[in-house]
Amino acid sequence: MKARAIQYVVLVGVAAVFLGPLYWLISTTVKQPTEIYQWPPSWWPDHFTWENFKLAWEAAPFDRFFLNSTITTVLGTLLKVTNAVLTAYAFAYLRFPFKKVLFFGVLGAMMVPGHVTLLPNYLTVATLGWINTYAGLIIPGIGSAFATFLMRQHFLTLPTEVTDAAAVDGAGHLRTLWRVVLPMSRPMLVTVVVITAVEEWNNFVWPLIVTNSASMRTLPIGLLILKTEEGVASWGTIMAGTLMMLAPMLVIFLIAQRYIVGGLTQGALKG
Amino acid sequence: MTMRRRMFLGLAAGTTLAGCGYRSVDAEYSQPPGAVPAKYGNRVRVVFWTSYGGANGKAVDKLVAKFNDSQQDVYVEVQFQGSYDDVAQKVAAALVAKQAPDLAILSDVTWERFFLNDALEPLNSYFTDGFGPAVFQQKLFGEYVVKGQSWAVPFARSTPILYYNKDAFAKAGLPDRAPRTWSELRSWGPELSKVQSGGRSLRTLALAKVDGDWQFQGNVWQFGGAYSKGLDVTIDQDGAVAAGEWQRQMVHVDKLAYMAHSPSTDFANGLVAMMQESTGGLKSMTSKAKFPVGAGFIPSEVASGLATGGGGIGMMRNISTERKQAAATFLTFLALPENSAFWTTQTGYLPVVNAARENPDLKKLIAEQPNFGVAIAQLTNARQQDAIRLYGRNANVAIYTGLQQIYADNTAVKKVFGSVAKRLEAIGDEVKRLYEEKVL
Amino acid sequence: MTALDLPVRTHPDERVLAGDADNHRRRRRRREYGLFALLVAPNLIVIAVFAYWPIIYNAFLSLTDWNMIAARPTFVGLANYTRTLSDPAFHKTLWITIVFTGLIVVGSLVIGLALAFLFNLPLKGRGAVRTMAFAPHVLSGAAVATIWAFMFDPGYGLLRALIEPLGAEPPDWMNSSDWALPGLVIVYLWKNVGFAALIYLAGLQGLPKDLDEAAAIDGANTWTRFWAIKLPLLAPITFFLLITTVIGTFQAFDVIAVMTGGGPGDATTTLSWSIYNEGFKAFNAGRAATLSIIMFVILLVVTTVQARVMERRVHYR
Repeated sequence: MKARAIQYVVLVGVAAVFLGPLYWLISTTVKQPTEIYQWPPSWWPDHFTWENFKLAWEAAPFDRFFLNSTITTVLGTLLKVTNAVLTAYAFAYLRFPFKKVLFFGVLGAMMVPGHVTLLPNYLTVATLGWINTYAGLIIPGIGSAFATFLMRQHFLTLPTEVTDAAAVDGAGHLRTLWRVVLPMSRPMLVTVVVITAVEEWNNFVWPLIVTNSASMRTLPIGLLILKTEEGVASWGTIMAGTLMMLAPMLVIFLIAQRYIVGGLTQGALKG
Repeated sequence: MTMRRRMFLGLAAGTTLAGCGYRSVDAEYSQPPGAVPAKYGNRVRVVFWTSYGGANGKAVDKLVAKFNDSQQDVYVEVQFQGSYDDVAQKVAAALVAKQAPDLAILSDVTWERFFLNDALEPLNSYFTDGFGPAVFQQKLFGEYVVKGQSWAVPFARSTPILYYNKDAFAKAGLPDRAPRTWSELRSWGPELSKVQSGGRSLRTLALAKVDGDWQFQGNVWQFGGAYSKGLDVTIDQDGAVAAGEWQRQMVHVDKLAYMAHSPSTDFANGLVAMMQESTGGLKSMTSKAKFPVGAGFIPSEVASGLATGGGGIGMMRNISTERKQAAATFLTFLALPENSAFWTTQTGYLPVVNAARENPDLKKLIAEQPNFGVAIAQLTNARQQDAIRLYGRNANVAIYTGLQQIYADNTAVKKVFGSVAKRLEAIGDEVKRLYEEKVL
Repeated sequence: MTALDLPVRTHPDERVLAGDADNHRRRRRRREYGLFALLVAPNLIVIAVFAYWPIIYNAFLSLTDWNMIAARPTFVGLANYTRTLSDPAFHKTLWITIVFTGLIVVGSLVIGLALAFLFNLPLKGRGAVRTMAFAPHVLSGAAVATIWAFMFDPGYGLLRALIEPLGAEPPDWMNSSDWALPGLVIVYLWKNVGFAALIYLAGLQGLPKDLDEAAAIDGANTWTRFWAIKLPLLAPITFFLLITTVIGTFQAFDVIAVMTGGGPGDATTTLSWSIYNEGFKAFNAGRAATLSIIMFVILLVVTTVQARVMERRVHYR
C-alpha cells in the first residue's frame, strides 16, 4: 500500500506541474496591479477585480478580433479537414500511378519550416489580390499534411469488407466515404478537427503579415497590441488578453478530449 | 558555372512569371488594401503604417481622426503593423509584392536601408512655410537630411533620460536628483543597496537586454569612445571598451546593476532604483509607477553626449503623385505646433516642432511635471548616432547581443567587442558601396 | 498513358478477366484515376503553391545576395553556402539546435513514457490528470511563452517564490546563458510532454497482455519486462513521436521569439531563429534562404533515415 501512496503523491505532483502555470495565469488576471508584483507573491487574490479584462478589452477592438478569429478558424478548419479526408480517402482506397511518391510529397510539406514560407506566400497572396481578405488569411493554410496522414492511417485500419460491400452495392466512392467510412471514423475526425482548429486559432505571424486593417485582424494580434504598450508591461492586462485568447480552445479541447485520445492513438499505433 | 547560371536564369524567369519580380524604382505601386468608412469613400486615401500600440497608438488614432475631420480631400488610414522591425519587414515585403503604403514609421536604424535603396521619396519639393526646415527642431530634422535632401521627417523622436525612484532615493538618504556622472551613480549604489524591495536589496541600475545598444551608444561617447568613425568600426577601442568595462564591473564586481528583460517594468515596480530609458515611455511610467518618478539627464563621464532615437515618417517613392501630395498634406498637418505638442503631452516623446514648445498645454504640463521638460533641455547634448549603427543592417543586434554576453556571462569586454567589431566590419562591408555613393 | 505504364498493383480478380472485359477494366481504372485526381487536387495544389513553391523560391534566393529592398538580387552562385557552412557562428547555431532538439526529444519520450505508466495505474483521478497534462498542447506557443516569461522573471516570478524558500538561489533563467536554453526546454516539455504521454498510454493499453503475463510467470521482474517486452513493442509509437517531435522542435520559433530572442548573446540562437534574424531583421534574404534550404534538407534527411532504420527494425523483429 505504500507504493500506492507514493503513486498518488506523484499523480498530484504531476497535476500541480501542469495546472500551476494555468492557475498562475488565471489568478493574475483577477489581481490588482499592486498585488501582481508584491513579494512574496500572493497565492490567492486579495481583492478580485475584472479591471484587467476591461483594460485589455478596451486596448484593442477585441470583439472584431474574436469574430475574425472565429471565421478564419471555422472556415479554415472546414476546408482543411475536407482536404484531409478527401486526400486520405483517395490514398487509402483508390489506385493511381506513383501514389507512394505523391504521398511522400504530401508528408514532405510538414518539413517546410513555417517562417520560410512567409515572404514567398505574401508575394503569391498579393498576386492573387488576397491581401487583407479572409481568402488571404485562410487559403494558404488549408493544405493538409499531418491531418491527411492521420486520416489515412485510420482508414487503413477499417475492415476492408465494409468498403468492399459498399462497392458491391453500387455505392459510389463519395457515398461510401460519407455513409460508411466517415461514420466509422468519428474519433479520428474529431481529433483532426480539434488539432486543425487549434492551429488555425493560434496562428500568429501570418495574420499579422497578410492583414492591414483592424477590421481583418485576429486575436493573437490583439495580444501583440497589448504587449507593445510603450515602456511598462502590464502583466495583468497581458495575462487577461492571453486568457481571452486561450479560453475558447481550452473549452473545445475539454469537450472533445475523450475522442482525441482515441484518434491520436490510432495515428501513432499504425504509424 | 554556365549550367548553374542557366538554372538561375530559369528560376529567375519563373519567379518573375509568378509575379515575384522586383521593384523598379519609378514604378507606381498599388495601395495596400484596408477599410475605408463610406463617408470618406471619395477622398484620396493615404495609408500610414505605424508601430504604436497601446496608449501611444490611441494618440496616433486621435491625431489622424482630427486630420480626417479637418478637411475634405484626404483620408488617412492608420494601419498598425507591430514593432519598428515589423513595419520595416512589411514595407519591404509589400514593395516586392508591388504594393506600397504611402507613409510609414521608420526607426532610427531602419529608414537608412530604404533610403540607400531608393525606396523613399525626397521631401524637399513638398516643403512649405508650415512644413520644412524652419519648422522642425533643427537637430532632429537634420538627421534625415543627406546631401541637402530630406528623406523623412521626425515624429516620435526621443533621447534616453535617467529615470530614478524618488522614494528609494529618499530612503537611501540621497539627494533628489539624477547622478551627474557614472562614477557618482556608482558611489550611490551601496546606499541604495540598503533599501529593501521585493524581498531583496534594491538594485541600482537596470540594463536593457534587448536594444540596450541604443542607450549604450551614448554611454560609449560619455566614456570617450565611439561605435565607429564613418563605417570604420571603433567599438573595440579604448572609450567603448571603458564604457563596457564600467558596466561589467557594475554587474559582476559591485553587483549593483543587472540585465533586465524589461527595465521599465522592473523600475515601475520598485525593483531597481535607476534606468536609462526613452523619454517616450514617460507618460505611461508616470501613470504606472507606484512611487514618484524622478527624471534627469543621462550621466556624463569623461564627456557628455547621448543618442537620439525613435521613429520618423518616410514617404514611399513608388506611389502616385496624387497620393504623394495627399500624404504631404498629412505630414504638414502633423507639423502644426499644436499637433506636435499634443503628441508630446500624450506620450513623452520630444516635441519635434520648435513652436510646439510654446504650446500652452505643453508648457502647463512641464510646469506641473518637470520630467516632461528633461529630454527637451537635454537635447543640446544629443547627437546623431555613429554611422555603423545607423547604416549597418542589424548592427544594433550585433552590439546588443555582445552586451548580453557581458551582462550575462561576465565575458571580458575586450574579447566581446573584438568579435562584435568583426561582425560589424562584415556588416559595414555590405553597405559600404551604397554608403559611399549616397551619403559621403 | 498505356496499361504498361501502370503500377504493378492489380486486383486478383481482375487478372482472370480477359478480352473485352479488358476495355471495361481500363475504363474503370481511368475513372478511378480521375476520381483520385479530383479528390487530391485541391490539397495538392495548395501544398504545391504554399509549401513547395516557397522552397523553390528560397532555393533561388539562396543563390543570390539581396537586401529585399534593392531593385533586384545579385547572383552569387554557391557563395552563401560556402560562407555559411564555414562560418563558426553557423556551427554554433547548429550545435545549439541539436542540443535543444535532442533535449526536448529525449525529454518528451522519457517523461511521456513515465507519465503513460503512471496514467496506466489504477489510480482515482488519473483521467483528469491526463487531461491536464495534455491541455497545454492546445495552447498557442506565444501565449504559453508569455505565461512562462512571467513565471521565470527573476524579480517577481513564481519560480523564484518556489525555489527561494528551499534555501537555493534561483537562477536568472532567460537572463543567463547557462539557464536560458534549459528554461526553453522546460517550456517546450511542459507544452508537449502530455501529447507523448497520451500516445504512449494508448500504446500501453493496446499491448497484448498474454506476453507480459507469461514473462511474469517465468519470473522476469518489472524492469526486464519493461526493457525486453514493452519497450520493443512500443517501438512504432516511439518512432511516430520521434519524427513528429524532431520536426516540431527543429521549427520551434514562437517561444524563442517571445522569451529570449536568441539570447543572451547567442545562447539560444537555433537554426530556426537565425533564419528569422537573417531574413526579417537583417534583410539578408539570400543568407536566410540558404539557412532555410539547409534546414529543410536536414529535416528531410533525418526523417528519411529514421524511417529507414525503423522499417528495418520492424522487419527483422
